Amino acid sequence: MTEAAGLLDPHLTVGTAPAGREKLGLRGVSRHFGAVHALDRIDASIPEGAFVTLIGPSGCGKSTLFNILAGLLEPDPGGSVALDGMVVPPGGLLGRVAFMPQRDLLLPWRSVLDNAILAAEVQGQPKKEARALAREMARDFGLAGFEDHFPQQLSGGMRQRVALMRTFLFDRDVMLLDEPFGALDALTRSLMQRWLLDIWSRYRRTIVFITHDIDEAIFLADRVLVMGARPGRIRMDRAIDLPRPRAAALITAPEFTAIKRELLEVLEEESLKTFQAGQR
Amino acid sequence: MKALALLAPLALIAAAWEGSVALFAISPFYLPPLRDVLGAIGANWQAYQAAFLITLLEAVVGFVAGGLVGVGSGIVFAHAPRLKQMVLPIFIVSQTVPVIAFGAIIVLWFGNTLAAKAAIAFYLTFFPVTVNTLAGMEAVDPRQIALLRSFGAGRRALLWKLLLPSALPRIFTALRLSAGLALAGAIVGEWFGAVQGVGALLLAAMFNEQIIALWAAIILAAAVGGALFALVAVIEARLLFWREEL
Repeated sequence: MTEAAGLLDPHLTVGTAPAGREKLGLRGVSRHFGAVHALDRIDASIPEGAFVTLIGPSGCGKSTLFNILAGLLEPDPGGSVALDGMVVPPGGLLGRVAFMPQRDLLLPWRSVLDNAILAAEVQGQPKKEARALAREMARDFGLAGFEDHFPQQLSGGMRQRVALMRTFLFDRDVMLLDEPFGALDALTRSLMQRWLLDIWSRYRRTIVFITHDIDEAIFLADRVLVMGARPGRIRMDRAIDLPRPRAAALITAPEFTAIKRELLEVLEEESLKTFQAGQR
Repeated sequence: MKALALLAPLALIAAAWEGSVALFAISPFYLPPLRDVLGAIGANWQAYQAAFLITLLEAVVGFVAGGLVGVGSGIVFAHAPRLKQMVLPIFIVSQTVPVIAFGAIIVLWFGNTLAAKAAIAFYLTFFPVTVNTLAGMEAVDPRQIALLRSFGAGRRALLWKLLLPSALPRIFTALRLSAGLALAGAIVGEWFGAVQGVGALLLAAMFNEQIIALWAAIILAAAVGGALFALVAVIEARLLFWREEL
């Protein structure tokens, strides 16, 4: 992982998110699967350029919400999703937000570079052009020298970076990241978090990031949305006004732990509900 | 290195053949010495070469057509579940009739032509390829499909960039299996009145009790099978370079 450490710029300058204009809006989004009530009237407004993390107990409907935001699922009638202030018709989000699932899902027959340009290619960008762009970006993603390798030759952290690069190359204003670092060891994970913040500051996208790690949720975010036990609802919408750039040591600072305590209270309550529901 | 790995087992079989004939004094009626068989082939080299090429061509034509139709119908079935429900059972029923049962009919229809033998080879080839193409496409990780759809991929992009490449390992498993079947199909086709080809040589040797010629024809058949299999293996190595276990 040394190559990732080398990428971390100690003098990152990350401005605060431009407040105001809404990028992504959820209005009364519910979703049933037969008798299962997965999401219950979710309202949220995500401003342009913001880094928003979404945290909640397992089975709270995070993935359902994500699939709706990616355009893979439709909300129940009555709810709607708005992008740039316009309500999106069914299927209208497909191809408009960059979605990165939990698993890297790299294609074994494509090289690093060709995996990274997959989304751009599907969108009809000429391969040559996309490859040239990807070649330039490879350094930022710690993949310089590995462009022509195949996924099965890479470590878990590198594969994840290829998947992230694919998401960034899919040039969309909104990125949805579903626990991208969930499978990495703690050390790699911490490096990848700071690296992601660095990349985010350079490429400036609106990011919605799912996690079930509280530290990660606070460390990355401008705002943390806490989801409650099923049926999923937003229990808390907490702005994180910790200064940027954020250093690794931040997670031991008193401001950080104060926020963490606050979030933990809500999360424990919700986790307990899920647990008790399972015992009944 | 690869050639050596291939030649070593062949040399072993040859040695075992020659050795056991000498050691157990086997009557040439049951197993003639290998050198006599090879000698017969060498003495009649041109005839054997012609038979080899004819049978190989028949098998290849049927095999390629069966492979293409198999992959094609697998793709169609994967996209049209209703059609699959209606047509796949017919495919299955067609495979329950042993090809030899209607070999005569096929020769009646196509005459004593290359097409007749290729048709039988085709008949044996397309079904395993269809089933494996379908299975390969249906086994693709739904999360992978969701990811490509989120990129805005339509049916075509999904097929070419994900479904078909994912199904290739299974398709090639079927093709390896079918290579042998296509050869059997071509030989069976030749049994219905052909005067050329490995199948014709086999029949002639059998009726005339020419044991050495019979063994020569068997070796020839193995050579055709080997050539077909090598063809598949070469293409497979090209296309499936990313599979580590190969």
